[in-house]
Amino acid sequence: MRRAPGLIPALLSFPPEAARQDSWGRLLTLTSGGAELSTATRLLKGEIVLLSFGLGGGEFEAVRARVEHAEDDADGRRLAELKFLDEVQRRALARSLTDLLSRS
Amino acid sequence: MSEIGLLAAETGDREELSLLLGELGHRVDGAARLDQAVESAREGRSRAFLVVDGGGADAEVLTRELVRAYPLMPVLVALKTRDATRAVALMRAGAFEVVAPPWTREDLKACVSKSLRFTGTALTPVRLAPRRRSAAWYALAVGAFFAVSLGAASLRRAERLRRAEAARVDRWDLPVSHPAGLAFDGSDLWVVDWFSQSLYQHSRADARVLGLRHLPAETPVAATFAADAVWTATADGAVVRRMKDARLTPLERFPNGAPGAAGIAFDGLYLWILDAHAKVLRKHLPDAALTVLSSHRVAGLKPVALVWDGGALWTLDAGDRLLRRLDLERPEQFVAAISLPEYGDGTYAPTGLAWDGDRFWTVAERRDGKGPARLFRHRREDSR
Repeated sequence: MRRAPGLIPALLSFPPEAARQDSWGRLLTLTSGGAELSTATRLLKGEIVLLSFGLGGGEFEAVRARVEHAEDDADGRRLAELKFLDEVQRRALARSLTDLLSRS
Repeated sequence: MSEIGLLAAETGDREELSLLLGELGHRVDGAARLDQAVESAREGRSRAFLVVDGGGADAEVLTRELVRAYPLMPVLVALKTRDATRAVALMRAGAFEVVAPPWTREDLKACVSKSLRFTGTALTPVRLAPRRRSAAWYALAVGAFFAVSLGAASLRRAERLRRAEAARVDRWDLPVSHPAGLAFDGSDLWVVDWFSQSLYQHSRADARVLGLRHLPAETPVAATFAADAVWTATADGAVVRRMKDARLTPLERFPNGAPGAAGIAFDGLYLWILDAHAKVLRKHLPDAALTVLSSHRVAGLKPVALVWDGGALWTLDAGDRLLRRLDLERPEQFVAAISLPEYGDGTYAPTGLAWDGDRFWTVAERRDGKGPARLFRHRREDSR
């Protein structure tokens, strides 16, 4: 496991039926299967989130994820564990991560 | 408490944020323009910048400049208008965190606190194990723990029972009083009784009598079961080979095959006969003449029985109450001995020996001749 020089920012959007405003957060951990996200948004377990972020020069748009676990951290921010649901997006993410880590 | 550099074009914003940061215990160094903020930071000891986006100031440009001037210092941006896309753009420009309006002490506290101890995103191409577990996972873990504990306790109990069972000596009184030998046919025990001239078939489980073979023409003193025959030795020194049928039909008789015989054993190839009077062990070829291949002195005080356990010959000594494992190369010597404390009180004198594949069995008669004979199942060797 490697660590990026900074925390990757991510745009959070939600399915229309959720009727929620877009928000933002930081990725604490990123794998091809999921991510850990720190955000001010009150995410709830089971909620669907569409995650957009940049990685290694590429852009990932609206990566569909489900909140597997969410809790408030010591600073009062929401710490959410996300699981990516779309297999195609997961594979693309795996390729990018492998490529990025092989270059660094 | 840390010093925070505050860059806000409008005085109202500076005052509001200064107040909030002050409530959080931070010292604030306010500035209206970038050059003032940079100069102020150079003189002071700011550990982070808070930049207000809007009101005539472009926080993206300001953030880039501040990050360029102070690359190790985190920059926070306070939005005057909520815009997620803008927030992400600011973060990509270098802002560590973006605070949405309305600005609250809680939001600022969390952002400042995080910015003062940030690290980068951890990257890995494989999915990590979840750090937090669900209640079901913990329930399963507790269940698994108890299952393993219960399993271990059960195994310990089973081992304790096995040891107790192995160490247990069973004894049964028999319906005969004059046993001379004992044999095992693969499933049952056979007690040779010279007085009644009979072989009694006993269950290995509880020693109950399963059958009786009366041999009116002879006085049997020892018996052994081979794969295809039963060999018996008689008091007059004869050896008889018999069919393994219900009547133990005699097949062949060797009149002087075993003078003084007290024990007989078949090792799969040779017939071994113990002459108790001469204290000699003879090795016979089971041919038509029952040819004697060799004779050996037997160690001990009073050897009275002989058995083959599948790997070695054992003698039972009624004098010193020992089981002796003989050296097959030199049967005059023994390589191991097992004491039989069951005979320590001298009430019974052992006369027959058998091996059932797991334990030794002996049969004994009372020394005073008053009472039934007794069958012993001895403890396992590994429990001694």
